[in-house]
Amino acid sequence: MLKYSQYSLIASLMLVVLALVCYVLVLTLKKSVRQAPAMAQAGVGARTSVDDDDVLDDDVDGGQRATVAPVVTSRPRALALYGTHFTRVALVFLTACLVFRTIAVGHGPFSNQYEFSVSFGWGMIAAYVYFEHRYHVRTIALLILPLTTGLLLYALSVGATANPLVPALQNNLLLTIHVAVAIIAYGAFSVSFAAACLYLIQPEGGRRGLPKPAVLDELGYRAVIIGFPLLTLVVVLGAVWAQIAWGTYWSWDPKETASLLTWLVYGAYLHARVARGWVGRRAAWLLVAGFASVLLTFFGNLFFGGLHSYAK
Amino acid sequence: MSQDVRTRPTESGDRESLDGLDDLDGGGSVAASDVLDRLWRFFISMRTGLVLILGLGLLSLIGTLLVQAPAGMTTDPAAYTSWVASIHSKYGGWTPVFDKLGFFSVFTSIWFKAITVLLTTSVLACSVNRAPRLWKIAFHPRTRMGETFFTHAALRANILVATGPDTAMDNVREVLKSHRFRTISDPDDNGLNLYADRFRWGPFGTVVAHLSFVIILLGFFLSATTGFKDTQFVAPVGSKVQVGHGTGLTVEAKSFNDAYYPDGSPSDYVSDLVVYKNGVAVDRQSVRVNHPLTWDGVSFYQSFFGTAAAMKITDAAGKTLYNDAAALQWQSDDGKHSIGQIDMKAAGLSVYVIVAASGKPDPNIKAGQVQLEIHQNGTDAPIATQVVDQGKPSTIAGVTYTFERTRQYTGLIVARDPGAMWVWVGSTLLVLGLFLVFFFPHRRVWVRIRKTSGGTEILCASTMKRDVAFEPQFHQLVTDIQLAGTPSSTTQEVGQNDA
Ligand code: HEM
Repeated sequence: MLKYSQYSLIASLMLVVLALVCYVLVLTLKKSVRQAPAMAQAGVGARTSVDDDDVLDDDVDGGQRATVAPVVTSRPRALALYGTHFTRVALVFLTACLVFRTIAVGHGPFSNQYEFSVSFGWGMIAAYVYFEHRYHVRTIALLILPLTTGLLLYALSVGATANPLVPALQNNLLLTIHVAVAIIAYGAFSVSFAAACLYLIQPEGGRRGLPKPAVLDELGYRAVIIGFPLLTLVVVLGAVWAQIAWGTYWSWDPKETASLLTWLVYGAYLHARVARGWVGRRAAWLLVAGFASVLLTFFGNLFFGGLHSYAK
Repeated sequence: MSQDVRTRPTESGDRESLDGLDDLDGGGSVAASDVLDRLWRFFISMRTGLVLILGLGLLSLIGTLLVQAPAGMTTDPAAYTSWVASIHSKYGGWTPVFDKLGFFSVFTSIWFKAITVLLTTSVLACSVNRAPRLWKIAFHPRTRMGETFFTHAALRANILVATGPDTAMDNVREVLKSHRFRTISDPDDNGLNLYADRFRWGPFGTVVAHLSFVIILLGFFLSATTGFKDTQFVAPVGSKVQVGHGTGLTVEAKSFNDAYYPDGSPSDYVSDLVVYKNGVAVDRQSVRVNHPLTWDGVSFYQSFFGTAAAMKITDAAGKTLYNDAAALQWQSDDGKHSIGQIDMKAAGLSVYVIVAASGKPDPNIKAGQVQLEIHQNGTDAPIATQVVDQGKPSTIAGVTYTFERTRQYTGLIVARDPGAMWVWVGSTLLVLGLFLVFFFPHRRVWVRIRKTSGGTEILCASTMKRDVAFEPQFHQLVTDIQLAGTPSSTTQEVGQNDA
């Protein structure tokens, strides 16, 4: 089983890289298409104004639009479609990896840094696939897929040895929910991070070829709306667990403190989005800070100790 | 049939204030005439809240990145000074600066307390400020809108139907009801008006979230100021140990077992605990990690374990001074010895019981032996140091010491925390409040119906503040209204033939 899990991970990693290559190629191809007006003209019939919002987002998956317009096959479009399919299959493989692992070790995949990293990677791809499906903003893949690649490579580098659970980690149900919910929240936050980055690199009013700032602003917010209540749940479940295992719901352990920081930054973001003078760029910066805090929480126990350090 | 649905991005904003909801920075109508008023406006300002939340975030960041002094250390100046010296190598010249700023105990620092108090005040002020308006919007909504609203709202549609206005109104109401909207009709001189909404409870989620945050802080405060927590509670197997702290409880470990995986890492620790109240056994449970015993608000958690030395100590007259097990719970500085302590206040003696630490054999203290270091209270140097054999009484300075045998002890955390309950209540409300806010956004639609030369005109409009997910639903509503108003002769357009 462990072997299958390992194979699935590698398959998933290769697919993520392939998808990334597709998207990057689309980007470069599209640029050259734009420079040749005649060619671009040929595609116009199939295009709606939405196309120019997002280089990677042709009307391939907008069901209605695609049926109204004659199907125009261009290389970028086919490539973008491949990218989408690759990420979806990568998600399937990564899911398989985690399932095999769970069967093999007899508990949820969250007892060491390897398992956490693979799960985090899973959360990112899952969130990406979901938001791509809902909002057709593929460009965020250019940020999310490299992050996922990095995480999976990191997982491979720390090694896949399975350890038995020390007593504190044996409260399985609570731990399973705590970590599973965290993975989804972190996945959602990585989407809002990507959206915020794309927002921040654009001048006021947007730049041709990138998704509109208003769309990115909205996407970032949508992702936080999912992530924030879930993160709250994670922190609360963590407190319940700490109460049961250590007799204190809160002990200012660095990992707890870091997740409080994350919670506060996203809380600030939610208020920033309706406060005068904070709407827009400053709010986007808070999303970047929030994700930095997620990474600090995640990798923190590599450089600070504390009660959570058994997770090393 | 014409349909004209326009959508404007939220960012360009619909600045038309519907019900004061847009103005989140506090009402601007009151002149800042006196201090109280200014203070109030300071606390209800969104920017104040934002800065305070970020301030708390900054402190958390410091608390994450810098080593924090162990709990309780700050009350012991000597221990604290030597602790600060021990981390000097880590932070160098910054050490005294950080120390002065309170960064080594951020969460008990004046900064932390000040920001928490300000934030709590601000959260309460915001809630008090907004609750009446939320109430009004939910229960006494504005049911008619002016003409400009219908031409400028973020989501809007003009629908022309062939039916008469009253039929159109009935159709619209039916459609909205089938989408589970509440409807309120309110005709006036200009035509028929209809207000419809869904999830009017949603916005109260913010009030719930805000108040629950305050409840959680209250719980933290109660935890810090009431109750107790003993993290070094030692119960040698077979001994009854008083819990103290006014609980009147005594606890006895009937047994302790530790189990290991083949690779040597621990798999289970379990103590069989009996709790006595005033000498009567009231509860018994196998306490393991993650399975505490709780009786009358006092909880016992499995925490650590080790060996204890059962000792019997009698004075010259044969009176028993001590007959119990001393937990060998401390390590010598070099890690080679495990040490226990016996205090006999009445006799003015304290005794250290010393054995070789496990895996560190000491030729002077063999298995089956303990070393006793006897101190007269008030003097520094021991009055005697002697190795004694198991089961052999030795008399030292008129007092007879017998090392009977070794026993296991279980180390518990014993705590009573009246604040915890409030933390759980607050946390539950917080999660509920957030789900309410985010997954049940208040959705409102205004409709105006009037007769025109060609038939009946239905104007629909809705704000879309921070709720794009409503956009497709609005379009669906419009489509449904349009279909409902379509006479049967033209139904072919949508692919139906009822002939
Ligand atoms: C750390 C504690 C706080 C938490 C957990 C919290 C939580 C929330 C949440 C979840 C929302 C909804 C956001 C949205 O709809 O996007 C919200 C809105 C709001 N918060 Fe807070 N908040 C906190 C502190 C504050 C403070 C200190 C203030 C006052 C300055 C404040 C004022 C507001 C206001 C005015 C709204 C908008 C309400 C509405 O749209 O009806 N909050 N808060």
